[in-house]
Amino acid sequence: MIKKIYLIGNPNVGKSVVFSRLTGVRVMSSNYPGTTVEITKGYFPMEGEKIEVIDLPGTYSLEPTSRAEEVAVSLLKEQSKDEMAVINILDSTNLERNLVLTLQLIETGFPVIICLNMCDDAGHRGIHIDVEKLEKILSVPVISTCAVTGAGIKLLIERIKESKPITKNKLQHEERWKEIGQVIEQVQHLEHRHHTFREMLEDASVRPFTGLAIAAGVIYASYNIVRFVGEFIISKVTDPIFIKLYQPILEKLTIHWQEKGFWFHLFIGDLIGGKIDFKQSLGVLTTAPYIEFGMVLPYVISFYFILSLLEDIGYLPRLAILLDNLLHQLGLHGFAVIPVLLGFGCNVPGILATRALESKRERFIAATLISIGVPCVPLQAMIFGLLGKFGGFYVAGVYLVLFSLVLLLGIILNRLMPGYSPEFLLEIPPYRFPPLVTLLQKLYFRVKGFLIEAVPVVMIGVLFINILIYFKLFDIVTSITAPIIHNLFGLPKEAVVALVIGFIRKDVAVGLLMPLGLTVKQLFIASTLLAISFPCIATFVIIWKELGFKDLMKSTAIMIGISIIVGTLLNFTILR
Amino acid sequence: MKRISLINLKANRKSKVVEILGGGQLQDKLMNMGIYKGKEVTKLSHLGLRGPVVVKAGRSILALGHTIALKVMVEGE
Repeated sequence: MIKKIYLIGNPNVGKSVVFSRLTGVRVMSSNYPGTTVEITKGYFPMEGEKIEVIDLPGTYSLEPTSRAEEVAVSLLKEQSKDEMAVINILDSTNLERNLVLTLQLIETGFPVIICLNMCDDAGHRGIHIDVEKLEKILSVPVISTCAVTGAGIKLLIERIKESKPITKNKLQHEERWKEIGQVIEQVQHLEHRHHTFREMLEDASVRPFTGLAIAAGVIYASYNIVRFVGEFIISKVTDPIFIKLYQPILEKLTIHWQEKGFWFHLFIGDLIGGKIDFKQSLGVLTTAPYIEFGMVLPYVISFYFILSLLEDIGYLPRLAILLDNLLHQLGLHGFAVIPVLLGFGCNVPGILATRALESKRERFIAATLISIGVPCVPLQAMIFGLLGKFGGFYVAGVYLVLFSLVLLLGIILNRLMPGYSPEFLLEIPPYRFPPLVTLLQKLYFRVKGFLIEAVPVVMIGVLFINILIYFKLFDIVTSITAPIIHNLFGLPKEAVVALVIGFIRKDVAVGLLMPLGLTVKQLFIASTLLAISFPCIATFVIIWKELGFKDLMKSTAIMIGISIIVGTLLNFTILR
Repeated sequence: MKRISLINLKANRKSKVVEILGGGQLQDKLMNMGIYKGKEVTKLSHLGLRGPVVVKAGRSILALGHTIALKVMVEGE
């Protein structure tokens, strides 16, 4: 009787897609190894019962060589072998390497069923596999599937119960590769093909000169597309909705609301020139929704669209090898590119993705650098909104300061912290072109995640701030911190409210700077400080969870120290 | 026959792995990813002086950090 179904396979073979197909649970998949850092569980109905399905992290073998692999193998050993089925998912375009794990699973006596995934891609590449023959040789069920389109999944489900352990001798490594060689010879037929354009691109992107040129082009294009699409959504969709639709409704409300007391202050905020100003009024119904939906959301959508596209195509690991050299100087290695890029969307998934890095030292460095020097989309969108009108020079300046800080701090941490950074060993996936549907699904998933995370915090945050302002409770804090803020950073004492609120959410904090009427220099310093000082509360909690309290304190001390130094330096070095 | 490390193999050359220096753990790891004694690999590129080496082994493309690539010995010309 099957009680549990395990999905196991090499990294990046489409396990998560098969998992979604079986359980209906949406999980994110990406075209690079190591997406599944958490164990995902779902349920699948079979013969009237709900059977637990477990998506294991990708592993190359049953003899684990990394933490993710250890987790996969230990989970597999928990259940008694006659109460489980193991679906071994293989990448048809790379049968040879994938069969190592398959043979190990069969030798260890697991009831295996083989799912030859990505069969359509294999076809495109001129690889033909004789499924029936493979099934005969291995004596376990073999089903060819294409999980992205759903082809073959039905058959896979029908045959799950056919999986049963078979007896087979345990092999040594060399013997196993020899056996695989023989199997491949019998079942795989390669059509001779000339290099396709796709393969030429794959090659060019990992060679030094063409690779760097392609990387520069990709980054430049991505940055511009994110800005262009974001601005397009703002000017054509969100601004019209807010100004032409929402504002008149609110104004009608305020006409009947003559007495401008506590509640008016809370929900509408201050009127600027007798009118509602979405950027400056600071009410729960005015500025709060405008910050999230009118300023941040458009960029969140465009950023995640580009990131998901690059992920699914499989470009990111190529960027990782190009930057490996540089990242080594910071005590990291090439793979750290992925947490960093995710961190540009939101620091929380970025820091979660550092799980794929091997040593604790690396994780600490990566998490600290991300929370200091990688501004999330909401923060960036607000900085654009704030500084953009004074020219790209100031916006670029903020990025330049952040980038130099990351380099400098990384080099220092690498020198000071004991230990060394482990070496880089990464499989580079082939380019794959995701169907638009999967891309949009992923985008939807991420945008929804953002909204669920951000909107309540922003609403409650603004409400809370307004109560504090109304009862003048901030005055105590501002007068205590005034000397630092004023003398060192050259900011008016009210700016401290924004810096404190930065702990709740960065975008709201930048919003608070808008009504203060700061000079360009002050805005520049304040936005830079908001980026590098304390992470927002969500990031704070995730660093605590992932690295422990001691490292959280270390990381925080570094952030506060650096903020004071940078704020002071900027104040005294910038003349205008 | 000369033995050289992957670092010294020229780009776009094919060669046979003769030995993997270093601990058994590294050997196992490379073995599972498809690089083992006797396997033919093609070096695609080497990125920078101390950067990673990219090789093709079977149908996989693998990037090996510099110090790992130093330990993979192949037949020299």
